[in-house]
Amino acid sequence: MSTESGTFLDQFPAEAKVVRTAFYSSFVALFVGALMGILQVLHRTDVLRIVDSADYYSLLTLHAVLLVLSFSVFFLVGIFTWAVTTSLDRGLQDLRYTWAWYGLMALGTLLAGIAVLGAFIPGLDMSAAVLYTFYAPLQAHPFYYLGLALFIVGTWLAGLDWFRSWWAWKKDNPDERIPLPTFMALTTTLFWILSSAGVAVSVLAFLLPWSLGIIDQVNALLTRTLFWYFGHAVVYFWLMPAYLLWYTMLPKISGGKLFSDPLARVVFVLFLILSTPTGIHHQYLDPGIAEGFKFIAMVNTMFLLLPSLLTAFTVVASMEHGARQRGGSGLFGWLRALPWRDPVFTGMALAGLMFAAAGFSGMINAGMNINYLVHNTWWVVGHFHLTVGTAVALTFMAATYWFLPQLTGKAIWSKSLGLVQVLVWFVGMTFMSNSMHRQGLIGVPRRTAEPQYSGFDYEVAVGSMAELNMQVIIGGTLLFISTLLFLTVVVMTVIGDKVDGLPDNGYADTLSGPEDAPLVLDNLKLWAGIAALLVILAYSLPLAAIITRGGILGPGGSPSPQFVDTLLFVGRVAADTVGGVIA
Amino acid sequence: MSSELEREIGHDEFDPVGTLGLITIYFLILVVLWIFMYFVEFAGGDLTVVGVVV
Amino acid sequence: MNIHTYEKFWLGASMVLIVGFILTITYGSVGLGIAMVDDSEPTINPENVGDHPDFGDPGVEQVGENEYVVHVVAVQFAYFPGEIEVPADSTVTFKLTSEDVIHSFSVVGTNANTMIIPGEIASVTVEADEPGEYGIVCSEYCGSGHHDMEGKLTVVPQDEFELEGDE
Repeated sequence: MSTESGTFLDQFPAEAKVVRTAFYSSFVALFVGALMGILQVLHRTDVLRIVDSADYYSLLTLHAVLLVLSFSVFFLVGIFTWAVTTSLDRGLQDLRYTWAWYGLMALGTLLAGIAVLGAFIPGLDMSAAVLYTFYAPLQAHPFYYLGLALFIVGTWLAGLDWFRSWWAWKKDNPDERIPLPTFMALTTTLFWILSSAGVAVSVLAFLLPWSLGIIDQVNALLTRTLFWYFGHAVVYFWLMPAYLLWYTMLPKISGGKLFSDPLARVVFVLFLILSTPTGIHHQYLDPGIAEGFKFIAMVNTMFLLLPSLLTAFTVVASMEHGARQRGGSGLFGWLRALPWRDPVFTGMALAGLMFAAAGFSGMINAGMNINYLVHNTWWVVGHFHLTVGTAVALTFMAATYWFLPQLTGKAIWSKSLGLVQVLVWFVGMTFMSNSMHRQGLIGVPRRTAEPQYSGFDYEVAVGSMAELNMQVIIGGTLLFISTLLFLTVVVMTVIGDKVDGLPDNGYADTLSGPEDAPLVLDNLKLWAGIAALLVILAYSLPLAAIITRGGILGPGGSPSPQFVDTLLFVGRVAADTVGGVIA
Repeated sequence: MSSELEREIGHDEFDPVGTLGLITIYFLILVVLWIFMYFVEFAGGDLTVVGVVV
Repeated sequence: MNIHTYEKFWLGASMVLIVGFILTITYGSVGLGIAMVDDSEPTINPENVGDHPDFGDPGVEQVGENEYVVHVVAVQFAYFPGEIEVPADSTVTFKLTSEDVIHSFSVVGTNANTMIIPGEIASVTVEADEPGEYGIVCSEYCGSGHHDMEGKLTVVPQDEFELEGDE
């Protein structure tokens, strides 16, 4: 424990090692995930197909799992560990415990990764081409489910670690407000545990026993609904560390202060109570769920726009404060006074700008009946490449240029290259995401190896399919180059020498501080209770209806193992089924 | 960072007028795009699903 | 808690947006009559789809003067029937179920789009006004041959339409 100034490494060397290791794990996942990404771009657009289209789905599974779970969540646990340690100014309670949860997360990723990659090892009857959503009756190797379960349990234990720090701090500081970064980590942890309980039940009670042959059928709609009970809250789980950085780092890097600490607390409380009772909006087009339940989920989802819209104001106002302190003036002229040459700032600001665009496509996705237009099209993929793929990923990469010196005591190898890297990401994503949105609107589906069909052509109103595909190819290539540039800067920094004179660890001051925030905002028990109550209200009736209709294990059906080696077998079954239907 | 600052602006002397301008533009873009997407792209499309009449 | 006047203004504008979005969707449901696929159909055992009175013999069926029902069975990696023909100026209800995994029935470039979940029957009704040809794709990943799963919907002029078996 230390109250000295200096880098995070100077203050908390043992915790810095934890955060560093979490970051490096996340970067490994980023590399493999990005490699899968470029392979998919080239495959879908039919430029280069190095695997069979049947194997494309293994690449896609790996891309999604590694990027949205491993990359983002490993980075998240690093950020939150830093945030809690720095803002409470105390080390973690027990580092052996900390390394235990890290170990569980790493083991989980490894198991799931092996299950997916097993598809490419001849003779090994192992595969998990079930994609990130693993909808039953598609069935993965048990390692896949086990890996996911271990990973999630690891994140729960991490959350408990931050709570332990806070409980210990509270004993020493009974009358103080929870520091904002810690408040953010704790509220996020609460909704994460609440929401991931759904997928844990789905995996542990149904899918894992089923993949082991203990039960022979599951209710497809029930396991799907349990997935989405978690599946929307998880996107806020990825987003919250980016929000934390926008609220607590971006104002400081802009040269100013956070505009309002109380509103930041309100925003995180809203995410805590509203993140989970919205998941059914991913099931607007599912049979077996009443329209009324879909409408309720939509109302909750629409109100969940509020914390993000408030964030847009607070964060931009904080940047404006910085710009004006740096001498900026005019209605919009202050924008020029921002530190655009700093990759940390520029990366985060561009990530925020893209999030504003993503806000729009998200509003469309939230709408109930308009979902007929976009559901499962490439539009949706365009949307989440702006959110998790840019608002989150680009913020994390930009933040790395600030964190890496804090964690290693070494200076960033090349800030100019870092600046180029964040700009290339922004340009690449503009191309790719624009094309994905537009292709989605003409009906091009997501999650397919070959969007070229034999029986019809897409009707492109403006431009052509070739032009749209070219945008995806250019965009995807730029994104892959940007990833390589990022990893180059990271590796060169890490193998460099330690230097003196690095900036001190810290985060932004506030213009309107916690003293302006009502005490009730810090009552985590109250908000957790309300969150649980809303979840019960939103989910008890739909879940009861699904179970009553189809039975807890569903009305029947057999598993569909996604083992590439058994492809012929699956083909035969399909042929038999077809024969049966015709006869 | 403080060396780059030209002046200190406190809470009471700061009105984020630029932010208000930017966010108003954003608001207008959202409204226009929403109306376009809902009434032209969606409601103007074919084979819209209607209530069961059978 | 002091909130800046501008931020109060933005809070109000945000609420206007949110309520406006909800009202638009409600207008779509009530005013334009757009219905969501729902739980009005009974469940079905995916293993016994072949024995089902309607899904055992899938295809187009006339149920009213200008009203048709099309039963479609989805399997890995095809629809039965794969080619559907309905007359223009008619009301068509698609009833869809799956024998194996989750699929979708997405008529490309239109708003006819639904999930097909084993154990459930999805029912969507559309107005087929103009003659035209549409592709149908499965937009939910359903296994290694997912990208081969497609069908065709043809809306033909009324005078050219004949029900299969009526010839």
